[in-house]
Amino acid sequence: MTGPSPIDDHRLRFDDFDNSDLFAKKPRLPAMGWNSWNAFGSGNTEELTKAMVLKIKELELDKLGYCYVVLDDGCYHPERINGHLTSDEIKFPSGFKAMADLVHSEGLKFGMYNDIGTRLCSGAEVGIYGYEKTDCEDYIKWDIDFIKVDNCYYMWDNATFADPENAKYSFAPNIKSIEVDGITYDAISAEITGTRAEVKDSYVTSIGTFDGTAPDHSPAGPRSSELIFEVRSSEEGIKDLFVTYASGAAEGTGQWLQVAVGEKIYFDALVAPTENQEAFTVSPAIQVELKEGINKLRIMNHRRQENTLDSYARIRRELEQAGNRDIVFSICEWGKTQPQNWGHKVGNSWRILNDITFQVGSDGNNGTAAWEGDYTTSITSQYNKAVIMDEFAGLTKGWNDPDMLVIGMDGIDNIMCRSHMAMWCMMNSPLMLGLDLRRVTKGDEIYNIIANRELITLDQDPLGVQAKRIFTTYECSEPDKEYIRDNDRIDILAKPLANGDIALGFFNLSQEEKDVPSVSTDEILNKTGGKTVNKELFANAKEYKIKDLYTGEEKETVSKVFGAGKLAACDSKVIRITPVS
Amino acid sequence: MTTESFIKELCRKAGIPFDGVFERGRKEGWLEAGDEVFKDSPLTRKNAARICHMYLLKVMKVKDLDMSGAAKLKDLYDCRVCADHIAQVYLRGIMDAKNIKRDGEFLWFDLNGEDDDTYNSKVIDRLLLVHVGDHVHQDMGNP
Repeated sequence: MTGPSPIDDHRLRFDDFDNSDLFAKKPRLPAMGWNSWNAFGSGNTEELTKAMVLKIKELELDKLGYCYVVLDDGCYHPERINGHLTSDEIKFPSGFKAMADLVHSEGLKFGMYNDIGTRLCSGAEVGIYGYEKTDCEDYIKWDIDFIKVDNCYYMWDNATFADPENAKYSFAPNIKSIEVDGITYDAISAEITGTRAEVKDSYVTSIGTFDGTAPDHSPAGPRSSELIFEVRSSEEGIKDLFVTYASGAAEGTGQWLQVAVGEKIYFDALVAPTENQEAFTVSPAIQVELKEGINKLRIMNHRRQENTLDSYARIRRELEQAGNRDIVFSICEWGKTQPQNWGHKVGNSWRILNDITFQVGSDGNNGTAAWEGDYTTSITSQYNKAVIMDEFAGLTKGWNDPDMLVIGMDGIDNIMCRSHMAMWCMMNSPLMLGLDLRRVTKGDEIYNIIANRELITLDQDPLGVQAKRIFTTYECSEPDKEYIRDNDRIDILAKPLANGDIALGFFNLSQEEKDVPSVSTDEILNKTGGKTVNKELFANAKEYKIKDLYTGEEKETVSKVFGAGKLAACDSKVIRITPVS
Repeated sequence: MTTESFIKELCRKAGIPFDGVFERGRKEGWLEAGDEVFKDSPLTRKNAARICHMYLLKVMKVKDLDMSGAAKLKDLYDCRVCADHIAQVYLRGIMDAKNIKRDGEFLWFDLNGEDDDTYNSKVIDRLLLVHVGDHVHQDMGNP
């Protein structure tokens, strides 16, 4: 392996991210089900999975939409046998096909897990890289309905457990200047697009894409940078380009260079390494075609995104070629390569951050979650990013995935769990339960949260519009776009629904009671108007029917202002507003 | 030290039979199939942490601590599947972090590092001395 594959299909290119999908995709609402990871970590077994299937049926969670039963990491034998994946013979002695048959016999759907790298995150040496065709044929034979694909041990990026020096594929070298037609153009005078690259001393560095795994960077706006030179040519023709660069193999400075003029790519490969990140050298001639006049010559590296998309696309392609099954494709690269830009081309959902908890459970241990925290491992860490990503999601695109539910884990109370459920439903997130369902009985507090039909109806509303944050008490000018990590605030989210109703969610993210501001129909419609089914009807209604989606209480009002009074710490209120003409 | 040697030493010190431990440990939930398949591989610190943590949970029945106290380890979040294992053995003083900054604190667990036999033996001693309720980490020097 000397580097990632050439990319011949323009649909995998950065310039095409906003355009056509790679595969025929039917409109699909967020997946719902149970995944083994948060409940049992690597300790899931056939016996435990069977118990979960039986509990899903007993609790009638399938009737609410929880139909996928997904085996996460830890279920495979740790190395291939005759080139194939097999189950861990102690944990899953009957094998995966038998497990799938059991799940299907109960009217549920069966999901599995793999990884685009050489190993799974648990270390098992059965990553799908190089085995896409074999594994996908086996998955089809096992009758899977869902696949979650992780990103550990990935060869072409500095992903978890991968060689940190793989960053050389993800960033362009530092650029000092270019020379074309005998004219030298300094990099520091060229245009830097996006927000990732920056001038350092006499050169430009960090030409590439932000790593979105940690909660450090906003997902909104351009997440990649290019360096664009306006190159003047007195005539049309082929010219020699020389790039003065210094390479590295760390986040921000790499060794992979892409050169384009307009949208046509002329160079897309590793350049020779330099002694260090500031030991500049001149590249061999790169031939580019210029037209007479001004040409936009782009120095860039979009391979962090393109390689990852390519790896996921290979799996999807092999699944489609192996058989005609309707399979939900869940991208789990932790937001690392800004999948909100490209995930729609291949997947049905894409994780937006690293995990929501690192303290998963095991049989007899609930695991632990948190309401807030500095890293990704809390409910609000995930929410704070997902809540400004609504424009990336949709029925024909796919869904932002702020990770699986942590309801029922230790460390969070029922108020937090209820707000967590409401947030995920307002944001059209996949709803994957992550607890030992043997602890749940119909009518208990956990059941009432996960089985709140009114909230689930929002998540599964056929209009498929993720709620927009229309107001926040945190001072900012664009509540729907600003990445806010200070939880001392109230957020108000509005979600247009297929029948013309609008759901409003009031969320107190802070750890103390707060007064909740009110919002008017004008404010709601100004922010959601384009997606509201019947804006005029909603605006001009004589009165409104309001349903509290926690208590079921209904009332009617002629007021065009909606509020929630006071909210206790971490509490929330969600109402469904029906205009009455 | 290989994975097998570590497990053998743990069995010896804990007074449990080594024969059949791989199958028994997997059924009990404190060993993974990879521990047997790759038993001759050198034991990494992250795998030592996993075995110790799962032994605590499944055999010694010691409940987890809140892992937030381990957030000071700069490489804790590099490993989504072993972060809790590392946090638990660090917080209980079973395995130490390394301070790699001369004039300040830069605590690093060194997930993929390996320890010598003497240190691994000490890790097992510390593991077997844990009692329910113990939770104060005392750094005992760099391994």
